[in-house]
Amino acid sequence: MATIDIDGVRKRFGNVDVLHGVDLTIADGEFVVLVGPSGCGKSTLLRLIAGLEDISRGAIRIDGERVNDLAPRARDIAMVFQSYALYPHMSVERNMDYSLRLRKTPAERAREAVEGAAGKLGIDRLLQRKPRTLSGGQRQRVAMGRAIVRTPKAFLFDEPLSNLDARLREQMRGEIKKMHQDLGATSIYVTHDQIEAMTLADRIVAMNEGLVQQIGPPRELYEHPTNLFVAGFIGSPAMNFIDATYRREGQNAFLVVGEKRLALDERDVADGTPVTLGLRAEDIAIDADPEDPGAIEATVELVEPLGLGTIVHVQALGTHIKALSLAVVEHRVGSRIWIRPHPEKFHVFEEATGRRLERKAQFAAELPA
Amino acid sequence: MSVQAERRPGWHGTRRRFALRMEPYFYASPALIFIVAVMLVPLAIGLSYAFRDITLLNPFSGGFVGVQHFVDLWHDSDFWQALGNTVTWTVASVSLQFFLGLVLALRLYRPFPGRGLVQALVFVPWAVPMFLSGLNFAWLFNPVIGPLPHWLYAVGILSSPENILSDPAIAIWGPIVANVWWGVPFFAITLLAALQSIPPEIYEAAEIDGAGTWRRFADITVPFLAPTIAITVLLRAVWIANAPDLIVAMTGGGPADSTQIVASYIFTQAFKGLDFGYASAVATVLLMLLLVYALIVLMIRQSLLKAS
Repeated sequence: MATIDIDGVRKRFGNVDVLHGVDLTIADGEFVVLVGPSGCGKSTLLRLIAGLEDISRGAIRIDGERVNDLAPRARDIAMVFQSYALYPHMSVERNMDYSLRLRKTPAERAREAVEGAAGKLGIDRLLQRKPRTLSGGQRQRVAMGRAIVRTPKAFLFDEPLSNLDARLREQMRGEIKKMHQDLGATSIYVTHDQIEAMTLADRIVAMNEGLVQQIGPPRELYEHPTNLFVAGFIGSPAMNFIDATYRREGQNAFLVVGEKRLALDERDVADGTPVTLGLRAEDIAIDADPEDPGAIEATVELVEPLGLGTIVHVQALGTHIKALSLAVVEHRVGSRIWIRPHPEKFHVFEEATGRRLERKAQFAAELPA
Repeated sequence: MSVQAERRPGWHGTRRRFALRMEPYFYASPALIFIVAVMLVPLAIGLSYAFRDITLLNPFSGGFVGVQHFVDLWHDSDFWQALGNTVTWTVASVSLQFFLGLVLALRLYRPFPGRGLVQALVFVPWAVPMFLSGLNFAWLFNPVIGPLPHWLYAVGILSSPENILSDPAIAIWGPIVANVWWGVPFFAITLLAALQSIPPEIYEAAEIDGAGTWRRFADITVPFLAPTIAITVLLRAVWIANAPDLIVAMTGGGPADSTQIVASYIFTQAFKGLDFGYASAVATVLLMLLLVYALIVLMIRQSLLKAS
């Protein structure tokens, strides 16, 4: 197991800058998830760590050793590919012990390692089969088994679950988490699925357009997204964004949305600044008291029952807003209701820069250390 | 059509069943008639020549001679030499074409500036008619106008700058060289296509697993190419064994029948000796040999398909 230091890493493909300087330190045994939309550079960063691409500038250190010029096989890392990349002409057992045979591991030890890993993953009966006779989920397990038999310094996962159906993905997600708890291995996991990121990560690295947007524990990214991108990317259903203007009159600060005024705590920004108000769907109560000054009139556009709760799409404040209620909601489309966003849960972002505007009073306390 | 036939009143019992059963054959009949007319009938007539005395210049020939041609063949030393030459010619041509084609394919697989152009150029020999390339090589080997004998002499392969095509001991290598030049693109392109069908992640996985260049070649490239190699080598072998063009164009089978392969021997017997009966007998033997070979090819292919 090892620490991984990524120090000012840049990557150019021809004339295109894919990574604009990434700094990240991964602790021994940590599970870090790189998340972002396609093309954000997360896979490239993973391939740079693996050694499958050359680093244009900066340095990557594994356990303190600079690996920029080391071939992948000298870095002692294991990788699970999105396509699994199993060797089709080798049996499951040969797939799993290939790396051990290349390292001239004694046959007895190699067999023990393979059987141990196969037992853990529940593929011990498949050892003599060829990959093409396996289902997607079984192939995925073989790919994981191939990685763990080696006890490498770190595991790299490149969207390992995206070729599985939803049910299997959920199950494998749990197994990967359990495996990480058992092995305690340093892991870097790339995904575009924010649910995978939230459930698996010790820390999430949210990336966009070759830049790290925010690094932190899943809850921190969810509750204190540092900018509009992270706010919009993390969370499902996605955060509601409403154009507003920040106003301050004496001691009272409020947001103006159309005709409506929404009271909030003071922010460190000039009076009259255009801002974007972010509201998570679960922070909006439906069926509010019309007399409540925070209540907003809304028209129901769509009702999506989830089983667990209901997503109600409404037209309000001149835009479309989604509210999540854990209750069974039986409003008819077109009916008028009152919604009330929780003022403590307002996320306010400066429109021009997209950066988060913290509450003035708690500004210092809430900043991540 | 069949639905209508079923519903038409009066169409019942045996007649209807017969019509329904024949229906697919009517659909297939144009193709079947064509194949019988242009392939099976000529084949049967050709085979029948092997048992008849057909000499074009003898108006009284045409009689049935039984297996006489085959008995003659058994005692014909020229035929046996041609058979031996066929093996040399095929093995040498195919193995050199394959080896050079593989090297070329591996070279073209890695990106380099101008790869597209080089790939197109590599294909050029394939586009030259075989017969023309034979004539060209015959000239290249001619010391009066061609440079090759002088170069071979200069590097010490030949003791004097003479035409290798006129030396019975080595003349067969003239057409072999022309054949290799002409046939390398086939292997280069098919092997390149097979190489490009290998998913790059497999190589990346092997690299991360600890495989160096050689192990990646031995453990990934070779197993992936094996089915393509087996099939192309086996098919090209038939093709080359069967192709007299270069021999006829470059040496005409000479000097003194030393470069005759079975296919060119058939050509010589039929169109130079005008003995179609005997030529047909030789062709029949060649056909049998190739059928046996094809059977082996199919069996190997089956076992390869099962293995992969």
